[in-house]
Amino acid sequence: MTSVPPTALNEATSIHPPTRTAEASWLRAWNWTEARLAALAERANPILVKETRQALKSRQFIITFMIVLLFCWIVSFVGIAIVGPQIYYAAAGPGMLAAYYTILIIPLTLVVPFTAFRSLAAEQEENTFDLLSITTLGSRQIVTGKLASALVQMVVYLSAVSPCIAFTFLLRGVDAITVGMLLAVAMLGSVGLSMMALLIGAAARVRTTQVVISVALVLLLAGAGVALWFLGIGIISDGSAMYRQAEFWLFAVVVMSLYVTTFGLLHAAAAAQVAFVSENRSTPLRRWMMAQQACLCGWMAGLVYVVLGSPGASSSGFMSGVVIITATLGSGYWFLMGAMMTGEWPHLSRRVQRSLPTNDAWRPFVSLMNPGPGAGYLFAVANLTMLLIVSLSAAVWANATGMAGGGGPSLEAAFYYAIFAWSYVVAFLGFGRLIINALRKWVYVPMTAAFLIHVILLLSAIGVPTVIQMTSRELRNSGYTLLQMPNPVWTLSELANRGVNSVQADVLVLILPTAALIALLLNLRSVATELMLQRIPVPVRIIEDEAELEAAAPRGPQSPWDLDDDPA
Amino acid sequence: MYMPRRPLIEVRELHRYFGPTKAVVDMSFEVYAGEVFGYIGPNGAGKTTSMRIISTLDEPTYGDALVDGFSVVDDPDRVRRRLGFMPDYFGTYQNMNVVEYLDFFARAYGLRSYERKRAIEYAMEFTLLEQLAEKPINGLSKGMKQRLALGRTMIHDPAVLILDEPAAGLDPRARIELREMIGRLAADGKSVLISSHILTELAEMCHRVGIIEQGQLLAVGTVEEISNQTETRSEVRLRVLGEPDGMMQYLRVRDDVSDIAFRNGQVILTHAGGPAEQAALLRQIIEANFQVVEFASKTKSLEDVFMHVTEGRVQ
Ligand SMILES: Nc1ncnc2c1ncn2[C@@H]1O[C@H](COP(=O)(O)OP(=O)(O)O)[C@@H](O)[C@H]1O
Ligand SMILES: [Mg+2]
Repeated sequence: MTSVPPTALNEATSIHPPTRTAEASWLRAWNWTEARLAALAERANPILVKETRQALKSRQFIITFMIVLLFCWIVSFVGIAIVGPQIYYAAAGPGMLAAYYTILIIPLTLVVPFTAFRSLAAEQEENTFDLLSITTLGSRQIVTGKLASALVQMVVYLSAVSPCIAFTFLLRGVDAITVGMLLAVAMLGSVGLSMMALLIGAAARVRTTQVVISVALVLLLAGAGVALWFLGIGIISDGSAMYRQAEFWLFAVVVMSLYVTTFGLLHAAAAAQVAFVSENRSTPLRRWMMAQQACLCGWMAGLVYVVLGSPGASSSGFMSGVVIITATLGSGYWFLMGAMMTGEWPHLSRRVQRSLPTNDAWRPFVSLMNPGPGAGYLFAVANLTMLLIVSLSAAVWANATGMAGGGGPSLEAAFYYAIFAWSYVVAFLGFGRLIINALRKWVYVPMTAAFLIHVILLLSAIGVPTVIQMTSRELRNSGYTLLQMPNPVWTLSELANRGVNSVQADVLVLILPTAALIALLLNLRSVATELMLQRIPVPVRIIEDEAELEAAAPRGPQSPWDLDDDPA
Repeated sequence: MYMPRRPLIEVRELHRYFGPTKAVVDMSFEVYAGEVFGYIGPNGAGKTTSMRIISTLDEPTYGDALVDGFSVVDDPDRVRRRLGFMPDYFGTYQNMNVVEYLDFFARAYGLRSYERKRAIEYAMEFTLLEQLAEKPINGLSKGMKQRLALGRTMIHDPAVLILDEPAAGLDPRARIELREMIGRLAADGKSVLISSHILTELAEMCHRVGIIEQGQLLAVGTVEEISNQTETRSEVRLRVLGEPDGMMQYLRVRDDVSDIAFRNGQVILTHAGGPAEQAALLRQIIEANFQVVEFASKTKSLEDVFMHVTEGRVQ
């Protein structure tokens, strides 16, 4: 191009100044938006970007979408035809809403989670998983990317159905909270189930079991879908009555806290399945377990606050009940988690050893968060101990501040219950761990096998005494006997229902804690060697590399919003 | 060839057992920058297993491997930034074309906007895939897939490339293209570890080779070094004026000559000894007054070296 004299250029630009500037600002706004969008996609999880692209080209996805859309139309036309001209007066909304919800819940609870599972399984089958795992994507990013892709699908289905749902809102009999609740249930259900499906997909990497697992997963999802459907229908029919009660919202808070922490736990567990062996895969899981324990404490505190806050409440029986519920939930939870944690591999990778806590006052506590079966055992025991101490102290405190009397189990029974439950967990996990340790000297015991060993140990402790007593002529009709000592189910339920004397608690309180302490002591040596491990120094090469990365780090935009024009 | 003393791949006493199967046993070697190292061994020798360990896909039972100084066991994340692995299978995705495939892996390696665009362009140019950018990957031929796999492997410009049987199933033309590409990568200062069970495939491509069988590394070095290390035997062909019987008689009494035969007017024999001994043999034949008009010694092929090195060492 030949050069244009500056004056000519100025004249040319000043011919229609107003329109040009308007256009320019419009254009600038568009460019700005586009740059932001591009920047967002730039920062989006690569798996999300890839799978969204794939989904848009996928026939299966488009067909499902079309079917959903088609059903929405059919329901709309049939519904309007049935209701007819009364549509403006009759409360046709709930019926239509229920129909749309049904259409929505099928893809959301069945298609979306199963697709998430399949997309992980397909990575295995098509051999792309290896390629993916040696990229610099972290294990958490891989799981999040898969989940985000499921989420995008979910949003697409939602957007197909949401105009219809908005339409029911125009009809009578539907309020905004109901619609909101319904969508929340469907979405949270879909995300939660997808997370679960991903964990199963990540854990079940053996191809031969894929078919069995797929079938089991479909059944599970179908069951969950039916449950969510009933929940949704319940919300549509009685929702507006429920929202007025404070308990409903409290309950919603409980459910949400359970949902969030369980989701976190599942996510961490799925990431652990995907991660390389030398990575620390345990500590994130342990953090979420503590979060769940904190939630349990919170719920119980909330329950106490709500009940005792009401006038005329009596604390004794109620507080004992709270202690018993807490001890039951807590010991069940920590047995389950402990059964998994004690199956961890005892050898700590050098990578983990590099990040061990350094020698300071907090070390004993922080060390329990370390990977390793011994630390895991002690972690479960310590948490359960804390939980029981807190709940018992609360009971004692409530009792001391007055309000005695009332029915329910005595405070004494609650004390015994807590001590026995603690003893059972400590003893079963401890002896199970000893068995696993012994077996590991000879054979390879993976985590699943270790978990099974704990379960078998517990089941035989429940089953064997029960069977013996039931088949013995003398004992058959004598109710609870000390033969049931190893049987936590019978012992604890007897204690909770019939009180201290029915189980000879004065005898058990000598035996059960002793057994627990023996288990603890027998484990102590191996636990100690694990906890005494010192941090090892970081290799020089790593420090060099850190310094290099630090020097080379681009001082670029930190969020899409501070991205400026093209660097090129 | 430029060879700084720091190896990019350092394998140290690597072992990998699968139950009773000893897939890799005490393997140690180094690969330097700018070097193409060939891994030769029959099927089931442990090539893939050891390559997967170096590529942070598997963990060793004992021992370690360092990539650019980082342990594949302790710092897989740092190793992954510096290493590209091309397995012996392709790894396909549904509903995806060539650019999207490369774009996904570029993103997965953390390449952003312009950096990524440049990386994809370079990879496509390097692997001659520019014309196929919009082609669905499921419709690619074996050779194209192999090039795409190489493009994917080098997308984040790794210093170390591990290629597992890249030439398997390629036609001769594609094989030559591949060899050129690998040469260019090495000239760029990258370390390339490449495996094959077909020896001739690697002979011209590699600076050094490692011969591996039953999980053990039997010999490491240039083809020449290995043939010198081992007790060498080469095939010598002689043509003399007149009847060969006299000379065959002369040869039969020598210790360093065996398998003497007469075919197509040539005396063919197997000679134990290196080039110097061969020169001595020729001189002595001439000094014994045989009229030699032709003396040819066949330089040993990799195949021969391989057969020789592996024979009887492991059972
Ligand atoms: N995941 C595995 N489980 C059990 N054995 C394996 C596994 N992978 C490889 N092997 C065995 O290890 C040996 C070496 O295999 P591989 O490294 O694939 O050989 P190559 O690549 O040299 O042909 C073979 O005997 C093979 O059967
Ligand atoms: Mg192989």
